Amino acid sequence: MEDHEILLKFQDPASRNLAFNQLVRKYQSKVYWHVRKMVVDHDDADDLTQDVFVKVWKHLENFRQDAQLFTWIYRIATNECLNFLSSKRRKFLLPLTDVGAELAAKMEADPALAGDEIELKLQKAILTLPDKQRLVFNLRYYDEMPYEQMAEVTGTSVGALKASYHHAVKKVEEYVTRHTAD
Amino acid sequence: MKTPFKLDAHPRRTHPPLSSPPAGYFDQLPAQVMARLPRADAPESAAGWRWLALLSPALRTGLASVAVLGGFAVSFFLSGPPAVSPAVASAASLDAVPHTELIAYLLTSGARVESSDLAALTDANPGIAKQFLAATDAELTEALDAQPSEDLLYL
Repeated sequence: MEDHEILLKFQDPASRNLAFNQLVRKYQSKVYWHVRKMVVDHDDADDLTQDVFVKVWKHLENFRQDAQLFTWIYRIATNECLNFLSSKRRKFLLPLTDVGAELAAKMEADPALAGDEIELKLQKAILTLPDKQRLVFNLRYYDEMPYEQMAEVTGTSVGALKASYHHAVKKVEEYVTRHTAD
Repeated sequence: MKTPFKLDAHPRRTHPPLSSPPAGYFDQLPAQVMARLPRADAPESAAGWRWLALLSPALRTGLASVAVLGGFAVSFFLSGPPAVSPAVASAASLDAVPHTELIAYLLTSGARVESSDLAALTDANPGIAKQFLAATDAELTEALDAQPSEDLLYL
């Protein structure tokens, strides 16, 4: 179902639930992986993904359609992730590096990465980036999102996003090079 | 020398190779999300309080403070008049004791009324002496002058 059809059906109370169910089915995988990349842990990603869709439900009536539905949902998911990570940091009074280390430990324990040393180094390198820069890196590198769309999701200018991604790539490459045996 | 790692040379993936979510996760997720949505009849039952959600957090805090203070004020008014002070209560209960019993008590109990007791009594009720002592000011002055100076200390 196209986005405009979903939105049209959502306006009608009789078909609202059906339309929203379609919306969740359409975007659940993208939202889940967008969140999972940021929080690493499946349970946290599951909670946050559900929170994102509950928020989408609450605010969809006021969605002005001056942005794409997908971009708007991504923005909500992004804010949920950043709030989750900063509240985790506040709750346990952890500095930036400790949350990164916690996420890296989870990443290391993931059986899917066992045996792939370079990939594990790459993931650990990504986790050393500050949350917002990691978000920019994920959107560009994994999702291959155009900078213009990234600007809508993050509320940052295209120029700043390009600079942020460029620095992120440099940091990641340096980290992997430094931590790789000859 | 180490070979520098180049991200462009690394095989690109759509997401990090983390373990996949449990089997059937994406089949169940829509139902879980739908179950968490606010029910359509829920807002109606809470319609009376919906206006609270529209207020700013600062206004809601202010409103809560007013409600608490109002509660205190109402409970204060409903608690009735303040209790009679102990001094007034004891004077009232002493008034109820018959004179003969008081005299019998004073004569038999060995209690001794000191000048200080009288002084405290007149201090609490300045006109009390007029109830039983019909004396003019001149007679009182003469009687006081005849008292030893140490007993006058309290008068």
